[in-house]
Amino acid sequence: MEELAFEFFHAKKDPKFRAQLKDLYNNYSGRPTPLTFCANLTKKMGGAKIYLKNEGQNLTGAHKINHCLGQALLAKRLKKKRLIAETGAGQHGLATATVAAKLGLKCTIYMGAKDYDRQRPNVFWMEQLGATVIPVHAGGQILRDAINEALRDLLTNPQDTHYLLGTVCGPHPYPVMNTYFQSIVGAEIRKQLKREGAGVPDLLIASVGGGSNAMGLFYEFLDDPDVKLIGVEAGGKGITETQKKAQHAARFQTGRTGVAEGFQSKFLQDKDGQLKETHSISAGLDYSGVGPQLAYLEEIGRVKMTYALDREVLSAYTLLAQTEGIFAALESAHAVAEVIKRAPKMKKKQSIVFNCSGRGDKDLFITAQKLDRKRFRAYLKSQL
Amino acid sequence: MKLMTHIVAGYPTLGESEQIARTLLDSGSGFLEIQIPFSDPIADGPVIAAANQIALQNGTRPRDAFILLRKLHEYAPDKKLLIMTYFNILKQYGVEKFCRDAARSNCYGLIVPDAPIDEEAHTHYLASCKKYGLHAIQIISPITPETRLKKIAQAASGFVYCVARFGVTGAQKKLPQELGGYLQRVRKSIKVALAVGFGISKRAHIAALQNKADIAVIGSQIIREYQKSGLSGVAKIITG
Repeated sequence: MEELAFEFFHAKKDPKFRAQLKDLYNNYSGRPTPLTFCANLTKKMGGAKIYLKNEGQNLTGAHKINHCLGQALLAKRLKKKRLIAETGAGQHGLATATVAAKLGLKCTIYMGAKDYDRQRPNVFWMEQLGATVIPVHAGGQILRDAINEALRDLLTNPQDTHYLLGTVCGPHPYPVMNTYFQSIVGAEIRKQLKREGAGVPDLLIASVGGGSNAMGLFYEFLDDPDVKLIGVEAGGKGITETQKKAQHAARFQTGRTGVAEGFQSKFLQDKDGQLKETHSISAGLDYSGVGPQLAYLEEIGRVKMTYALDREVLSAYTLLAQTEGIFAALESAHAVAEVIKRAPKMKKKQSIVFNCSGRGDKDLFITAQKLDRKRFRAYLKSQL
Repeated sequence: MKLMTHIVAGYPTLGESEQIARTLLDSGSGFLEIQIPFSDPIADGPVIAAANQIALQNGTRPRDAFILLRKLHEYAPDKKLLIMTYFNILKQYGVEKFCRDAARSNCYGLIVPDAPIDEEAHTHYLASCKKYGLHAIQIISPITPETRLKKIAQAASGFVYCVARFGVTGAQKKLPQELGGYLQRVRKSIKVALAVGFGISKRAHIAALQNKADIAVIGSQIIREYQKSGLSGVAKIITG
């Protein structure tokens, strides 16, 4: 970790590294991503102007590739031969496998056995990109267990392997480093609004799983006191829980400060400090911990945290599709749900930017089962 | 060569973990690590991680480990009993309170792999151990740099746990070749006893450590043996 931190702080000052990264951002991933004024949604809500930062337009369909490209370049500088990563729904694994293919690195992806079974399409894509995907049978067989297994791999192969951690969690320098690579999102927004002749936005909204898309959106505006920042966690089926399992992943509602997986932050945990299983309709938010920077920003009152329930998320997803023609990932639809609550109460001259961190195609098997169950199941059967 | 063995409190049940512990102490283990199970045991390999999971499903709590510790101390008062766990368990219990209760249960020392010395200003872990007369066992690995070894030497107490290879806990067929040089290097900085663990599963391994280290640690092999052939298998690892 010390080696990685050292390299990161040097690389970010190195013009050659920055030029390489910029080239990959622009000519490979497709940056800058559009900032879209949602005219129809704005009209429908009748309040603040709503802008959508479309990170879903990136290669692999989400913001994750921003820090994957950055970290993979660092791994090359450190002469590593191999990338490993954890993945929940498979999006971060897919982005890692993609950059590994592009930069000529070997790649192993750890995935909880449950996720491995229910995210078959992404396992297929990762394997097609040349990655080895390993199902993790330990623990609850979900994201947390995949993180633990990836950490074990790193401890076993520290010399030739870089662990490409997929969010702003984990030990130093991951939170700082991934925030840096994601901060391009907010930086582009500032420029794009300026070009439109609009000032800084009044409100920024992002969904919060580990926190990478939220930190990417917020970072640029942390020192603009007039820009309000709101993070939206997974409210799941409601803020209820048992000793072992929460029906949500809203760490800021019922979580406490703890230490696990190499960092201190807010965790959903029981009295003894055992982390709880969580629930969300979106796999990317289904995690018991959250990035330490967000925990701090919430504590000092700079970021407000709220949550959206699974059912609110689904209707927000449909509304955005039908007003703007954009399918948001279910993670990002949490931000949309909050936009819908806030916009009507704001003045017309005010503005909201939300991070549409990913596109919704990947959720086909969830959304179709929920919104068009009968016909989708008939279709699946017909394909067998 | 002294021996340190390991159990997970509550695995496979609380009663059985006590039986395994007694067998280990009877067979000549001078040190015993009693692991308080944690939901996210990142320094442990698959065998011990799975045992953690089962112990938690059995409802094992930190105070169960303290009670177990007391019973074992009564049973074998001359043995050195340690608690191994992860920092969040201490943090939620209260670090100082945890150290107090451990000391009251006649604990010799604590092994907490995710409480690095650098975080002392936040954790007060070393200070709490000191206050209650517990040895805060430090961990080093083959890639620990010299500068860090020196820092660890200052905090070292009781003994230092030397990881014999990269990675997590788990039995290996062979010990790494370069082990001798590594332990010699450590010996130069560290004045307390050296325990070597992670990968030791056979008597031949222990023999290979003769004159290089002071304490051999056997961990996951005990769980494997217990699963295979019960208490007699556990005893046999030590008595041969």
